[in-house]
Amino acid sequence: MMCEKYEDKLIGLLNNELTPAEQAELEKHLAECPGCSEELAGLRDVWDMMAEIETPEPSSHMRVKFQAMLDTYKESVEDVKPGIWSSIREQFSKVWQLQTRWPMAYSLMIILVGFGLGYWLFSSGKGGKQEEQLQALSSQVHELKQTMMLALLENPSASERIRGVSYTSEIKHADKEVIDALLATLNNDPNVNVRLSTLDALSHLANHPEVREGLIRSIEKQDSPIMQLAIADVMLKLQEKRSVKPFEDLLKQKDLNPGVRDKIKQTITQLI
Amino acid sequence: MLRVKAGDLDRMGLLFERHHRSLYGFLFHMTYQREASEDMVQNVFYKMLKYRHTFTGQGEFVAWMFQIARNTLKDQAKKKKNKIQQLSAEEMEDRLPGGISADEQLEKKQDKAGLYKAMASLSEDHREILTLNRLQELKYGEIGQILGISEVAAKTRAFRAMQELKSIYSKMER
Repeated sequence: MMCEKYEDKLIGLLNNELTPAEQAELEKHLAECPGCSEELAGLRDVWDMMAEIETPEPSSHMRVKFQAMLDTYKESVEDVKPGIWSSIREQFSKVWQLQTRWPMAYSLMIILVGFGLGYWLFSSGKGGKQEEQLQALSSQVHELKQTMMLALLENPSASERIRGVSYTSEIKHADKEVIDALLATLNNDPNVNVRLSTLDALSHLANHPEVREGLIRSIEKQDSPIMQLAIADVMLKLQEKRSVKPFEDLLKQKDLNPGVRDKIKQTITQLI
Repeated sequence: MLRVKAGDLDRMGLLFERHHRSLYGFLFHMTYQREASEDMVQNVFYKMLKYRHTFTGQGEFVAWMFQIARNTLKDQAKKKKNKIQQLSAEEMEDRLPGGISADEQLEKKQDKAGLYKAMASLSEDHREILTLNRLQELKYGEIGQILGISEVAAKTRAFRAMQELKSIYSKMER
């Protein structure tokens, strides 16, 4: 029996693949181990005999056929030029791999610049323009409402006139025209309900000095007790001391409603 | 081969001159069919041309060539599943190069024929490795590359193949 761990060495020896050191070691072992040396002898017999195994010569056609195949192949390659294509592709892929970082950075930058530009355009350029347009539009609407309100105040229908008055709450900055129209309505409108709602609308505009003055002047012009009471309330709310004089004048009227008289007296004492 | 890959296809002629014999020898001992082996040599060289871009140049060219040859053999075996059969002894003798009727010494002739038959009756794996190892004189490292196994595994397989061949041959002698 032979030693299993020397199998590799024996086959290596047969094929002349051992280093001198390995060979020396194996020879030493073979001298001591009859099993291994017997195995080697048997294998070497067969090994040496195998050198005698002949392989037939390939026929001479083969070279001719090969050359024909090679020529045909070369022609087909020249026809379709896959060689050139593949070399172009190879070059391209090389360039692509080499420059992949730069285009990436470049396109990223373009995207960022695009974002920035878009933002800038919308916020400052178009955005501003849009806002301007919007402002123009809203001021147009504002004017339209004013005109409509003024027109409504001229309407023969009392309810339409009330609707006109109510628009003033929607007008942010009442100008002189609106105020004058309202005061005129307050003093001259035949319908007491219209005058009442006009008073209400004007009391919201009391931060305008001309409104206050108008209201004070209006005191002596109101003959309806409801209006007199309402205007007294407004004066009280506004704490308008200048209204004391017209109220005192009002008290001198002999046909004044007793309820109104009491209310005005009370108002005067509260204002002073 | 790298120059062939780069487009210098004429270089393939040089490779053919250098290697077609050993390739043919391998294919012949795997099939024992001359014409089929010649066709397969042709086929292998065609594949090497066609797939030249897959040659990395890292391994040996010879190892690459034999790998392609093995694949070609497998394809061929699939196609002609039952055509390549174990040949009878008479057929084998007919196929011996030069035939045995040549006027050589009788004993030597018999030895040769016997070993030839013993080779033919080896398992395919063992016949393959001994053909590469002993007949094409490749190193175990190269054989490992061709077969896709380690060098040590190639040595072990070669040793087992030698043992099998020896035992078959000695049985024949008796």
